[in-house]
Amino acid sequence: MRLLRMYVAAVDRMNYGLGRLVMFGIFILMGILMWSSISKVFFNPSLWTLEMAQFVMVAYFVLGGPYAMQMGSHVRMDLIYGALNPRRKALLDSVTVLVLIVYLGILLWGGIDSTRYSFQYGGERSSSAWRPYLWPIKVTICIGIFLMLLQALSELAKDILFLRTGTPLRHQNEEQGDAL
Amino acid sequence: MPYELIAVLMFSTMMLMLFTGQRVFGAIGFVAVIAAVLLWGDRGGYDLGFSAIIKVMRWYPLLTLPMFIFMGYVLSESKIADDLYRMFHVWTGGMPGGLAIGTIGLMVLISAMNGLSVAGMAIGATIALPELLKRNYDKLMVTGVVQAGSSLGILVPPSVVLVLYAMIARQPVGQLWLAGAVPGLMMAAMFILYIYIRCRITPELGPTLTEGERAEITHAEKMRLLRAGLLPIAIFAVMMVPFLNGWTSLVESSAIGAIAAFLAAVLKRRMTWRVFETTIRQTLGITCMFMWIITAALAFGAVFDGLGAVNAIESLFTERLGLNPWVILILMQLSFLVMGTFLDDTAMLVIVAPLYVPLVGDLGFDLVWYGILYTITCQIAYMTPPFGYNLFLMRAMAPPEIELRDIYRSIVPFVFVMVLALALVMIFPQIALWLPGIVYDL
Amino acid sequence: APSIARAQEPIRWRFQTYAGAALGEEVTKPIIDYINAASNGEMEIELFYADQIVPTGELFQALQRGTIDGVHSDDDSMASPTPLRQFGGYFPFATKHILDVPVLFNQYGLAEIWDEEYSKVGVKWLSAAGQDPCNFNTTREITSVGDLDGLRLYTFPTAGRFLSQFGVVPVNIPYEDAEVAVQTGELDGMAWSGITEDYTVGWADVTDYFLTNNISGAWIGSFFVNQERWEELPDHLKQLVMAGIEAGHTYRNQWYWGGEARLRARGDKLELRSVPAAEWAEVENAAKEFWEEVAQEGEVHQKVVSIFREYNDVINQAGPPYTF
Ligand code: NA
Ligand code: NA
Repeated sequence: MRLLRMYVAAVDRMNYGLGRLVMFGIFILMGILMWSSISKVFFNPSLWTLEMAQFVMVAYFVLGGPYAMQMGSHVRMDLIYGALNPRRKALLDSVTVLVLIVYLGILLWGGIDSTRYSFQYGGERSSSAWRPYLWPIKVTICIGIFLMLLQALSELAKDILFLRTGTPLRHQNEEQGDAL
Repeated sequence: MPYELIAVLMFSTMMLMLFTGQRVFGAIGFVAVIAAVLLWGDRGGYDLGFSAIIKVMRWYPLLTLPMFIFMGYVLSESKIADDLYRMFHVWTGGMPGGLAIGTIGLMVLISAMNGLSVAGMAIGATIALPELLKRNYDKLMVTGVVQAGSSLGILVPPSVVLVLYAMIARQPVGQLWLAGAVPGLMMAAMFILYIYIRCRITPELGPTLTEGERAEITHAEKMRLLRAGLLPIAIFAVMMVPFLNGWTSLVESSAIGAIAAFLAAVLKRRMTWRVFETTIRQTLGITCMFMWIITAALAFGAVFDGLGAVNAIESLFTERLGLNPWVILILMQLSFLVMGTFLDDTAMLVIVAPLYVPLVGDLGFDLVWYGILYTITCQIAYMTPPFGYNLFLMRAMAPPEIELRDIYRSIVPFVFVMVLALALVMIFPQIALWLPGIVYDL
Repeated sequence: APSIARAQEPIRWRFQTYAGAALGEEVTKPIIDYINAASNGEMEIELFYADQIVPTGELFQALQRGTIDGVHSDDDSMASPTPLRQFGGYFPFATKHILDVPVLFNQYGLAEIWDEEYSKVGVKWLSAAGQDPCNFNTTREITSVGDLDGLRLYTFPTAGRFLSQFGVVPVNIPYEDAEVAVQTGELDGMAWSGITEDYTVGWADVTDYFLTNNISGAWIGSFFVNQERWEELPDHLKQLVMAGIEAGHTYRNQWYWGGEARLRARGDKLELRSVPAAEWAEVENAAKEFWEEVAQEGEVHQKVVSIFREYNDVINQAGPPYTF
C-alpha cells in the first residue's frame, strides 16, 4: 500500500510538472507558424517551418498526454459509466484500464523498434530538403508513450487504493467535461 | 475467417469497449492494435499503432486544431465576446424568444471566426446560458440552443472538419468551405424559425425583455454595442484575407487568427493570469484528447484498409444487394447517424469516410456536396448521446438545475431541425453547390 | 499438378506502392493483377496505395521487418538507407528518355550495384525501370530560371536539395495530400512528374502552368521484396513475379510516352511555358557540379556517378534521338 502510494505520488508529480511545462508549447507552435508566414510574405519561405511545427505538435500532445489524463481530458463514453457510483467506477476502471495499458504497450513496442531503426545506417533522416535526423522526435514520442503508460498504471493504483481504503485519491477535478 | 466477419467483429468489440466507459482513445486503439497483432503478428501487427502517430505528424492540416482550440478558449475565457452577446441581447431582446434567437446569431459569428465547435460551446455555455436562465428562459430550450448553435462552427467556414474531409476525399477546400456557407446560414435560420414559432405559441419558454429593461437601453448604447460586431469581422479578415490571397497557407492563417484573438484580449485588458492559465491548460487538454483519438482511429482505419474493407463494402452495396444509388446514399447517411451516436467526428472521418467516399464518387454523386452532408451528420453526432462533445460540455458547465435528463431531452427538436436541413440539402444539392458554382464559375 | 497446387493456401503478400490510388491504377495495379491472375490461385498479392498501411517515410523499415512484403517505389522517397538513395527518383539530368533507365541498369551495370547494396540491408531488389520526366506544374508562371526563386514545391528529396540553390523551397508531405496542399496554400506546385501524372492524379486541376523544361528525363523506380518472403517463393512463382513486373514496365513505357505527347499537345488544363534552352543550361551545368559533390560522398556514389557519366558521353556522341 505504501509503495503504491509512493508510486502514485511520484508519477503524478512528474507528469504534472512535465504537463505544466509542455502546456506553453502552444506558443512555440504559434511562433513557428507566425515566422513561417512572415518569412513567406517578406523574405524567402523557410525550409524548416512546416516540419518543425509538426515535430512540436507531436511532442506537445504526446508529452502532454499524461497530464491530460490527470485532468480527465481524455473523454469517455459515459452513458453507463457516468451513472455508476464512485466505487463501481473504480472497480470497472481497474479492469478496463488494462485495455489502455495493452494499447500503450504495443504502441511502445512499435515505437522502440522504429526508434532503433532511426539510429541505424548512419541515422535516419527525413525526406525533406531540410533533412533533419528523426531520432530526436522518435525518442520523444517513445518517452511520451512510456510516461502515458506510467500514468495509466498510476490511475490503476489510485483505483486499487480507493477500493481498499475508501479514500478517493483520484484528481478531484476529474470531470469529463472539465476539459471541454 | 472471412475479412467481412473480422471487420464486423472489430466494430462490435469497439462499441462494447466504448460502453465500458474506458477512455475513448484507449478503447479504439486497443481494438486496432490487438486486431493487427492477431491478423499479422510480427509481420505488421505491432508497429501499426506507432505508424499512426507518424501519420498524424505528417497530416499537416491537424496543425490548425490546437490553433482553433486556443482561439476558442481565448474568446470565451477572456470574455471579449461579452459585448458581442450584449449586442444581440439588446437588438433581439424584444421579440418572443429573442435572447435565444440572439444566441444563434452569436454562434454564427463565432463560427465564422473558428474552425471547430469548441469556441461556440465554451462561449455559449459560459456567457449565454447563465444569462438566459436568469431571465427565466425554459431550460430545455436554452440548453438545446447552445448545443445546436455551436455545432455550426464546423459547417460555416472556416471549418477544420471540411479540411480533413477534403484531404480524404481529395476535393478542393475552397469549394467545400463555400459550399458550407449557405447550408450553415440556412440551418441557423431554421433554428431561429423554430425558436420563434415555439415561443409565439408558448411565450413562457422565451420571455421578452421587460418594457422597463428595454427603456433603459439608449439608442446610443445600441449603436455602441453594434460596434462589438467589428471584433469578429476583424479577426475573420485578419485570418482569411491573407489566406484567400495566397499570401499565407491555411495552417499559418489559423496561427494568425489565434494570435489576433490573443492580442485582442490583451488589449482589452482581459488576459489575466487566471484566464491565461485556464486557456493554455484547456488547450493542452483538448488537443491531447483530439490527437490521441485521431491516432487510435488512424490505426483502426489502417487495419480496415489492410482487410480490404473498402472493396467488401463496395461489392456488398452495389453487386450483392444491387441497390439504387440513392438508396445506398441514404443508407450511408443513416449509418453515419447511428455511428455518430457512438463515435467522435474525427474517428468517423478516419475510419468510415475512406470506405464511403470512393463509393459515393463511383455512384456518380458530387463529392463536394457529399462533404456537406457528412458535416451536417457530424453536427448531429456532436449532440446525440451517448457520445457527443457538446453533450459533455453541457454536463460540465450547466448549472445544477439542468439535469442529465434535461440535456438529453433538450436536443430532440434541434436534431429534428438538423435532420430536416440534411434532407433539404440532399434533395436540393444547389443549396450547397450554388455559391461555389458562382465563385469558381463551375 | 495444378489441382494439388490449388488445394494449398495461396501465398499472400501485402504490397504497397509509392503512388496514390489514381496513379497506382496505371503504374502498379496492372502488375499485381497480372501476377494474381496468372498464378492460378497460388499467389494473392493485396495492393495498397501511398501511406495506406504505413506512411511512406516508414516504408523501408516496414519492408525489412516484413510488415509489408513488397514495395514499388523510388529509393529516394522511400528513404532507402543505402548509398543509392539519391539516385532513385530523379537524379538531376542523369537521363533524357524513359528507355535510358533499363539500359543503365541492364547494360551499364547499375543492376548489379542495386542488387548488392540491397542484399546488405536485408531487402531483395527485383527490377528497375524508367517512368516520366521531372517537369514543373505550378500556380505561378515560370519563364526564366529566376522565377524558381521562392517557389514552394512538392518534390523529391534529392531534386529538392538540388533545386534549393535556385531558391526553390521543397516541401515534404504525403503524396495524397499534395493536391489539397496547393489549395490550402502550402504549395505553389510540384516538381514531381511529367504531364501524364499531373492529369491523372488531379494536379492539373489545381495548378495552371506546365514547364516543358525538365530536371531529369526519367524517374528511376524499383520493385522490392522482403528477403525472406522472396526466398520462400517457389522458382516458378519467382519467374512469374518477374514476368509480371516486365510486362508492367512495357505498359508504362507506352503509357507515359504516349501521355506526355498527347497531353502537351491536346491537354486543356495546363498552359505550357518554357525557359529558353540557353538559359536552362545554367541549371544543367549546376547539375554537373552536383554530380561531383555527390560522387565525393562515397565509393558506391562514385561508381554510380561514373556510370551516369559514361552513359551520357555515349548518348551525347550518338546525338539525336538520344539527346532529344
Ligand atoms: Na467555422
Ligand atoms: Na453523438
